[in-house]
Amino acid sequence: MTTRRDFLKIVGVSVLGLTFLGVGVLPTTSSAAKISLEDALKKHLGVGLSAIKESKDIIVKAPSIAESGANVPVEVRSTIPIEKVEALYIFVDKNPNPFIASIDFSPLNGEVYFATRIKMGATSPVRAILKLKDGSLLMAYKEVKVTVGGCG
Amino acid sequence: MAKIGRAIVKVPKKVKKGQVVTIRMVIIHPMETGLRKDKKTGKPIPAHYITHVDFYFNDKLFTKINTSAGVSKNPYFAIKFKPTESGTLKIFYEDNKGGKWEKTVQITVEG
Repeated sequence: MTTRRDFLKIVGVSVLGLTFLGVGVLPTTSSAAKISLEDALKKHLGVGLSAIKESKDIIVKAPSIAESGANVPVEVRSTIPIEKVEALYIFVDKNPNPFIASIDFSPLNGEVYFATRIKMGATSPVRAILKLKDGSLLMAYKEVKVTVGGCG
Repeated sequence: MAKIGRAIVKVPKKVKKGQVVTIRMVIIHPMETGLRKDKKTGKPIPAHYITHVDFYFNDKLFTKINTSAGVSKNPYFAIKFKPTESGTLKIFYEDNKGGKWEKTVQITVEG
């Protein structure tokens, strides 16, 4: 016969088991379809977010609120001389694939400037990261609110 | 539907020496992520997107844009350009299904 104590033990153990299952299973299933910002940064730049310095010399222009995530205009410019810059990277934190584009510059560009239109799945920062020729990385970002996502 | 891969390039054809101009372009392309499903059949729509856009001036590569499907449908790109001599601007672009296209524009530098 199952006593009250036994019953509580069983319930307790199964609840614990479920919690562990939940912790173990959920992150793997969600990361299978989605790449995290940290992984995308490591893949393209070789370092994580904490290794990238914020800079006021980079300006990211994007709407504060985007009506449609399918078409968000983004413009990046910088006062840093083009001769010192190697490339520009654009990331959106919460997209299934956060990497949007990278641009390799040369002195023939005259100045650091890039504009495009991007897809956004949800409200997220839009990041612009400049890779300088001395190997350093500088970043600026703009938070864009998205009411209707454009990734599905 | 307009033909995939067609592009419109806007750049001044005459540039004063030392002047920085803007090159703007729009490419007709669906930019499918591969994550969307066909609403009628429920089957996933295969990924189809531009992978890179290369800008050459007098056969020298001066800007390379590597793109993902995160760029919007019918992608728009703008970059700056400071030519020091007259010549040919060639823009070459490719997609993940083997589509290859190019556009050329003659540019004259004055003064």
